[in-house]
Amino acid sequence: MKLVLDNLTKGFGEFVAVDHINLTMTNGIYGLLGVNGAGKTTLMRMLCTLLKPTGGSIYCNGKDIFEMDGEYRNLVGYLPQDFGFYPEFTVKDYLFYIAAIKGVRPAVARKRTNELITKVGLAKAADKKLKKLSGGMKRRVGIAQAMLNNPKILILDEPTAGLDPNERIRFRNLISGLSEERLVLLSTHIVSDIEYTANEILMMKDGAIVNKGTLDEITNTMPEKVWQCPVPQQEVSSITKRYKVSNIKTDRHSVDLRVISAEKPCETAVCVSPSLEDVFLYYFGEKAGDDNDVL
Amino acid sequence: MTYFELKKIFLKPVSRIVLTILAVSLCVVSYFAIGYVDYVDENGNNTIGIAAASALRDEKNKWAGYITDDVLRKVLQENALINNSKEYLSKDVTENNKAYSKKQGFSDIRDMINRAFGSFQSYNYYRADSVTQEEISSFYDRRTANLVEWLKSDEQENRYSEQEQQFLIAQYEKLKKPFYYEYADGWAALLEYAPSIIMLVVLTTGFLAAGIFSDEFQLKADSVFFSAKLGRDKAVAAKIKAGFIVVTSIYWITVVLYSGIILTVLGFGGAGCAIQNGFSNWKAFYNITYLQDYLLTVLGGYLGNLFILFLSMFASAKTHSKALAVSIPFILLFIPSFLSGISVLSEVLGLLPDQLLQVYTAVKTFNLYQIGDRVVGAVPIILTMYFILFCILLPLLYQVYRKTEIK
Ligand SMILES: Nc1ncnc2c1ncn2[C@@H]1O[C@H](COP(=O)(O)OP(=O)(O)OP(=O)(O)O)[C@@H](O)[C@H]1O
Ligand SMILES: [Mg+2]
Repeated sequence: MKLVLDNLTKGFGEFVAVDHINLTMTNGIYGLLGVNGAGKTTLMRMLCTLLKPTGGSIYCNGKDIFEMDGEYRNLVGYLPQDFGFYPEFTVKDYLFYIAAIKGVRPAVARKRTNELITKVGLAKAADKKLKKLSGGMKRRVGIAQAMLNNPKILILDEPTAGLDPNERIRFRNLISGLSEERLVLLSTHIVSDIEYTANEILMMKDGAIVNKGTLDEITNTMPEKVWQCPVPQQEVSSITKRYKVSNIKTDRHSVDLRVISAEKPCETAVCVSPSLEDVFLYYFGEKAGDDNDVL
Repeated sequence: MTYFELKKIFLKPVSRIVLTILAVSLCVVSYFAIGYVDYVDENGNNTIGIAAASALRDEKNKWAGYITDDVLRKVLQENALINNSKEYLSKDVTENNKAYSKKQGFSDIRDMINRAFGSFQSYNYYRADSVTQEEISSFYDRRTANLVEWLKSDEQENRYSEQEQQFLIAQYEKLKKPFYYEYADGWAALLEYAPSIIMLVVLTTGFLAAGIFSDEFQLKADSVFFSAKLGRDKAVAAKIKAGFIVVTSIYWITVVLYSGIILTVLGFGGAGCAIQNGFSNWKAFYNITYLQDYLLTVLGGYLGNLFILFLSMFASAKTHSKALAVSIPFILLFIPSFLSGISVLSEVLGLLPDQLLQVYTAVKTFNLYQIGDRVVGAVPIILTMYFILFCILLPLLYQVYRKTEIK
C-alpha cells in the first residue's frame, strides 16, 4: 500500500488549510501531530474523499483516489474526529449497517462484527443502544466500524480525545495491534499517544508538514538543546520569561525546569536528550510567558 | 441497506409520536365523514352510523334508476304532498323533522331540481317547491342553460375565451342523460373528507421523510457514511428506496383504512353513478363516476405525496437542513390557501402541487387551460406535470446527495 500526496492543497476561500503537502506513506503507523487548526482534519477528509482538494492530487498505488472512487473507499477505514452515529441503533445493528454500506457481504459482516466487538471489548454492550454508551465505549465502536472492511488504509482523527488515561493506554495498545499489514494515519495533539507507537511522526503546522521522521530522527535533529536546570523558586519567572519551558517540577526547596534553548540558560543547567514533547514545544510552543498548555 | 434505513426512520421516538397523531387523526376524520351521512327517522330524530346509513340507503334506493321526466314529476308530487301535510306546516321542529324524514328518499333528486331551476351561482332550498309539472321536462336543459347564462354574465365576460366556453358547454352536453341514480352517500362522504386525510398524511409523513437525508449531517454520521465504499452510490439509492417505501406504505395504509371504514359503515353502492348526481357536484364539468372520482383523488393524492415529500427530501439533501424539509409540506399546503381569495391567481393556484392532494375539490373547480388548440381542465395537467417532475426529481436527488462534501 502506498499513498502519495502530490502538492496537496485545500483552501477555504482565501484561507489555506492544507498548504502544498508532498508526502509518501506506506504500511506502518504515522502519527500526525499538530495544534488545533493545523489542518489535520482537513487533510484526513481529503484522504477519505470527503473533501475535494483545491490543488494537487492523492495517488493510491499510482492511481488518483478520486478516480478510483468506490474502489479506493473500499480500502479505507475512517474514524472521524466528531464521530456521530444513530442513537437508537444497538452496537450490533450499527456495525451491520456500516458493514452493509461498506459493501461487506452479510455472512462476512456477521463474522467480522462479532470478532471486532470482542477485540474492542464491547461484548457485554453488543445489544445496548448506542445512546446509552459512555464516551470511551463509543470511541471503541468507532474503531470497530472503521475496521469492518479490514481496511488497508486506516485513518483515525484524534481517536483518544476525551478519553481518560486508562482508556488512552488501552486504545494505544489496540491501535498498535491493528497496525500490521496496513497504513495507519493517526492524528493527535497529545504527544504520548504516538511517542512510542508511531513508526513515523509528521508534525503539521499551518497546513504544512514542518518536520517528519522516526522518533529518534525527530529528536536528534532538533536545532536547539534541552536543559535540565534546578533553580531556586525566585528565579523561575525570569527564566520562563526568556525561554520555552517544557516542564516545571516543584520540589520543597527548589524547582526543576526543563528549558529549550540554544545556549545554556543558567549556571546549574545540564544538557539532556530531547523528548518528543520538547520537540513539539519547540515547533508549536509560543514564547514562554504567553498562556500555553503545558503538555 | 434499505432495511436499516427504514429502521433508522422508525426507531426514532418522533416517528412513534407522528404515527400516533396520524392514527388519531384518521379516527377523527372518519368520525366526521360518517357523520356527514345522517338519517332522520319517522319520529324526527337525527341519527348517524351503520344503522342510519342503511335506513337511508333503503329510503333512497326506492328512487334508484334513471331520472326520467316521470320520476321527476313523481318527486314533485310527493314533495307537494308532504308540503301540505300537518307535520310540515306545524310550528314544531320535531314535527317538521318528521316531514323531512319522508322527503329523504328523494332529497338528492329534489336538490338537483333546486340546482337546475336556481341560478348557476346560487342555491335556493325551496326552489323545488315551486317548480311546475310542465317546467320539469326542461330539467336537463336547465343545467346547460344555467352555465350559458353564467358565462355570458357581466362578471364572467372576459374570464373564458370563446373556445373555452365552447369546451365547457360541450362537456355539459356530453354528460349522459337521463342520470342513473342510486344511493351513493358512502362515496360522497368518502370523497368529501378525502382531501383532509390526504393532507394529514403529507404533513405527518413529512416528519419521517425529513430525516432520511439530513440526519446523517445532524448526527454527524456523514463522514462515515460518505467514506464507505457504497456511500456514494448504493447507500444513496437505499435512502431513496426507503423514502419511497415510507411514503407509499403510510399513504396507502391510511387511505385503505379510511376508505374501508367509511364504505363499510356507509355502503359501497352508487360507485357507478355520475358525480353530478346529488348536491355537491352538480356543476362539475368532468364527466366521471364516483368510483372514477375516487380513483383520481387517491391516485392524485399519492402522486402529490410523492412529489411534495421527495421535494422536501431533495431540499434537505441539498441544504442539510431538517427544519426546511419539515416545513416544505406546510408551505406548499398553506400558502395556496392564504392566496386562494385572490381570483386573478386562480389559474396559477389551480396548478400548484397542493391540488393533487385535493383532486376531489379540483374536479369541482372551473379552471381551464389552453394547450395548443386544446382546452383542458386542471386535473389532467397536474397529474401529468407532477408525474414528470417527480421522475426528474429522483435522479436529481441521487446526484445531489452522492456529491456531498463534508466541510
Ligand atoms: N469548512 C471550512 N470552512 C472554512 N474554514 C475551515 C473549514 N474547515 C476547516 N477550516 C479551517 O481550516 C483550518 C484547519 O482546520 P482543521 O479542522 O483541519 O484543523 P485540525 O488540525 O483538525 O484542528 P483540531 O486539532 O482542532 O481538530 C482551521 O483554521 C479551520 O478554521
Ligand atoms: Mg481536527
